[in-house]
Amino acid sequence: MSGLEKIGKTDPRLGNEKLKRYIRDKVNHLLSVMGTKPLGREELDDNTLLELDPIGIIALSFEQILEHQKETNRRLTVAKDQLQAVFDTVGVCISIIDEDMRIVNCNEKQKELLVSVNTEVIGKHCYEIYCGKDSPSLDCPAVETLATGRPVFIREVKKKNRHFQIVTSPMKDAEGQVTGAIEVSMDVTEKKKVEELMRQAEKLTAIGLLAGGIAHELNNPLGNILGYATLLLKDGESALGAGQREKLEIIVEQAKKGSEIIRGLLDFSRQSVPAFQNILINDIIRKTVRTLQNRLACQGIKLDTALAEGLTVRADPRKIELVFLNLILNSIQAFEGMDRKGKAISVRAAREGDLIQVKIADNGPGIPEDILPNIFDPFFTTKPVGKGAGLGLSICSGVVREHKGSIHATSEPGEGTEFTVCLPAPAGVKGRNGKEDICSGSL
Amino acid sequence: MKKHTDAGKNIVLDIRGQICPACLMITLRELNSNKDKLKNEKARLVVKTDHRDATRTIPGAASAMGYSVSVLQRDRYYEITLEYGK
Ligand SMILES: Nc1ncnc2c1ncn2[C@@H]1O[C@H](COP(=O)(O)OP(=O)(O)OP(=O)(O)O)[C@@H](O)[C@H]1O
Ligand SMILES: [Mg+2]
Repeated sequence: MSGLEKIGKTDPRLGNEKLKRYIRDKVNHLLSVMGTKPLGREELDDNTLLELDPIGIIALSFEQILEHQKETNRRLTVAKDQLQAVFDTVGVCISIIDEDMRIVNCNEKQKELLVSVNTEVIGKHCYEIYCGKDSPSLDCPAVETLATGRPVFIREVKKKNRHFQIVTSPMKDAEGQVTGAIEVSMDVTEKKKVEELMRQAEKLTAIGLLAGGIAHELNNPLGNILGYATLLLKDGESALGAGQREKLEIIVEQAKKGSEIIRGLLDFSRQSVPAFQNILINDIIRKTVRTLQNRLACQGIKLDTALAEGLTVRADPRKIELVFLNLILNSIQAFEGMDRKGKAISVRAAREGDLIQVKIADNGPGIPEDILPNIFDPFFTTKPVGKGAGLGLSICSGVVREHKGSIHATSEPGEGTEFTVCLPAPAGVKGRNGKEDICSGSL
Repeated sequence: MKKHTDAGKNIVLDIRGQICPACLMITLRELNSNKDKLKNEKARLVVKTDHRDATRTIPGAASAMGYSVSVLQRDRYYEITLEYGK
């Protein structure tokens, strides 16, 4: 039985009173739901109560409240979608964590860089998911922000092999209590690489200038030493004793080595201008290999080639030859003192899109991970004094850069090393049929 | 109770001098019956009343319905202006 029916069962006059009270109570109840204080008698007397049909009015008003709520919801959804899109597409990682360092939410970038695929993150500890640790690290900025309620900036931190700059900001409730933190991380890995390259380039330029200057100055005296020593050898053909001859020959040999280094320095400091022409890369590779044939044979090293035909590059042949010579020589030298069966070097050339790629690989000792970043530095060498000047690779990188190409090394210590030289293919020059026939051979 | 629409598209509701004004109910009724005008034509409802209570009851209810409310105290009465949105 409803309230109204119940009222009708009693004395009609009393019922009228009750009805009015019922309506007044309902009206005030509904108004309080709307957020308005109850109406007193002076604002809603008995007559108006019955004439105005306040419940009917309020019902219609509720219709408007509902419409308004729907519209508000729609706007909120749009705003939420927009924010979510910004959240996910902004180029930085964003993560929201609670006081216990559990992840409340994170954006797509964060997942892409720091979360392994198909890992559920919500509710997990951030240090576990993002840093791969079972407790937060000592310098964790989020810990500090949660403790102090202040933002913290970290210039650089390494997570999962990438470098990040991080800012953490506190989230606070109405009372100002810290309820969590927002962590924004920017991936600076690529930026660091570029900075490293710049640093190296600057170093190269500085050293190049210095080396070029010294090389010039040294060239003359060295030429004189070589000249006079050769003269002495010729003139004193009969007068010299065997021991003296030998010593003179050493002088000549060492002076030649010296001028080779000087030529290298001059190349390195780019004081010789490249003479560009369209050339077939294989011609250069084959010429280089021929030069080294004897040394390879002597040391029992097998050299395989897999060369796609018709690869044209715009290059200075002499300089490019120098690059291949240095790379293959390094491989040969790496085998020295190595007791290993099946010493092998492979040279492969192929077209990769707009680039001509030459890969020179050996199964030698490899390069330890900690020195790999330094091998292109000028004067970096692991060879004994007198054996290597540490200029080979820095000359290579200088030459390759001059050709608007690139060079890099990968190595697996104990397994071998591979150098990749990329040179731009001149526009409009394609291999036959756009595809090259691979031509392999071995030495 | 007097009602007219002024030049500036305002619906003016004058309930001054009434013994039991039922201001809130009358205002709500006007908001309901002029819904389309208020929402689509950006008209405003201006209520003039000398009952102070109305200035406390109308804003809560009207804002739940999506109207913004401003109250102006005139010489001997209050002027309550309701406008949809904002
Ligand atoms: N194929 C390789 N295998 C192992 N280590 C290598 C290889 N190529 C280069 N390296 C390492 O890189 C270093 C730098 O090489 P780079 O050619 O610049 O100088 P170098 O060979 O020592 O001296 P230079 O070339 O001036 O005679 C080498 O000393 C060696 O440690
Ligand atoms: Mg070398």
